[in-house]
Amino acid sequence: MKILVCIKQVPDQESRPTVNQVRTWAGYAENASYWINRYDEHAVEEALRIREMIPGTVIDILSIGPERVKSAIKRCLEMGADRGFNLFYDRDDYLSPSIKSRLIAEFCQSEKYDLILTGVMSEDMMSGQTGPMIAARLGFPSAASVVKLEINAEKQSIQVERELDSGHRCSMELALPALIAVQSGINRPRYPSLSNVMRAKNTGIKEIRCTGSLPASQYETVERISEAGSDRAGIRLAGTTAEKAAALWQLLHEKSLI
Amino acid sequence: MNHSIMIMCEPSGGRILPVTHELIFCASLIANRYNSRITAVLPGNIAGVAPISGADLLIINSPGLAQYTCEGWEKAALLAAEQIMPDIIIIAHTSTGYDYAPRVAALLEGGCITSVAGIEFTPDGIRYRRSGFHGKLDLLYKAEKTPLVITVLPGAFPAYDQPAKPGTVSYIDADINPLYTSNLQFMIPDQSNPELEHAEVIIAAGKGIGKAENLQMIREMASCFNRSAIAGSRVACDNGWIGYNAQVGLTGQKVAPLLYVACGISGSMQHIAGMKDSKTVVSINRDPDAAIFRYSDICIVEELEKFIPEFIREAEKHRA
Repeated sequence: MKILVCIKQVPDQESRPTVNQVRTWAGYAENASYWINRYDEHAVEEALRIREMIPGTVIDILSIGPERVKSAIKRCLEMGADRGFNLFYDRDDYLSPSIKSRLIAEFCQSEKYDLILTGVMSEDMMSGQTGPMIAARLGFPSAASVVKLEINAEKQSIQVERELDSGHRCSMELALPALIAVQSGINRPRYPSLSNVMRAKNTGIKEIRCTGSLPASQYETVERISEAGSDRAGIRLAGTTAEKAAALWQLLHEKSLI
Repeated sequence: MNHSIMIMCEPSGGRILPVTHELIFCASLIANRYNSRITAVLPGNIAGVAPISGADLLIINSPGLAQYTCEGWEKAALLAAEQIMPDIIIIAHTSTGYDYAPRVAALLEGGCITSVAGIEFTPDGIRYRRSGFHGKLDLLYKAEKTPLVITVLPGAFPAYDQPAKPGTVSYIDADINPLYTSNLQFMIPDQSNPELEHAEVIIAAGKGIGKAENLQMIREMASCFNRSAIAGSRVACDNGWIGYNAQVGLTGQKVAPLLYVACGISGSMQHIAGMKDSKTVVSINRDPDAAIFRYSDICIVEELEKFIPEFIREAEKHRA
């Protein structure tokens, strides 16, 4: 089997985004930490588990972004993936999932994957669009929010279980090739083993310049970014830890909640 | 420009789910402004559906649409779009919506904005609001290509309840059959959690508690209150700290207690959807920019391991 896992590198949740001058996008400080989008890490783990079941499986990792995303790709190689690809894009602006999915679908044309795995969404933007869009562009079936999967090599199909609203689930069989967007909780991603870390040192990451194939027109744009408004009073308690604890007790007591 | 609007109804078991009326409300804001026509598309194998208020109903009638499949709904949406020629397609951001909506956008080569929380009007047209950057910033989007496909967060708009004349009902008889999907089965695992459902006070733990051992502190905090229960965010459940039957959010339980205390929960849209109707919300988080503070009445920027024991001591002091 040939598997592609599409990953995104995301900034640490506690980093503070700084809105640019024209208020159309936001960036992070030079020293901000980035890591693999949590959902995508589950996708990588799932690919590794498939390879354990089906020897001879090849796992490719692909990520769109600037130089720094190579460290996320490298981490996947250290987990055990075989090859890494970086679709190089270093503009600090809004890149529509429609465009990302076009670039990835174009990349897939020459590679003929049996299975594409992604996370169900990114932790920072939470659009959840890129995966299903890649599938649509390649004519693959897809399933989002998958919490269980199993390959049936004989039937060339994949059995999946999707999470629905309010804890309901549904299972189905999809014909391969297919794209599966996995939900967290599907597995526990492994830590890199020493042998894979050593191997990854010698595995190059192939960089593909994609600026030439960017479409001329936009699909949708971010016109303005503002500090998030508040839906509630949002009183911030001040003082020492003890003072805040006392103030909280008092406020809750006044509301007869404690 | 009139803006022809197409809504995808959210059907389940032969009826139209209430979230559909929220989509109609959203569409009506646009329709009132631009005098647009709203068509609600119902994929299914359904006979004798009553007309609905606020929109014309177009039923895509096909045996292959008896149950939701991604490819079935995609084809139904494309077929309807061919007839309606919409400028905007509105779909609910539910487990079905986010499964097929981006595909429809890609196949129509239109724009796509998911988990929309609000719309605004400018002299230059409609803008769509959603949050991003870990929920810390509000982003206002503009469509550059039509049709635009949007998914709307459940609960973002009220249900449409104007006493308008019911719209027309029409049918397209189609032969849509899933080609790639088989052996479809629906399951309802037992996720009941009566304690959580009846709790007046919920103390919820998130990623910020850091380790399973710290759940004890959450339990002790809960025991400071009457009729209390503990709950968790998705991450807390994924880490095995708390059972999935106590997960609060879009895919878990929806709760609305008198008091909800979010401990170390960042506040993703998915989580907020499950607790935003709580009467009073208190959040404790060490990140002063955490999105959860936007949805809180009382905000406490503190380390949990320092603050919670302090609060427990304070409560014990008053009890003594």
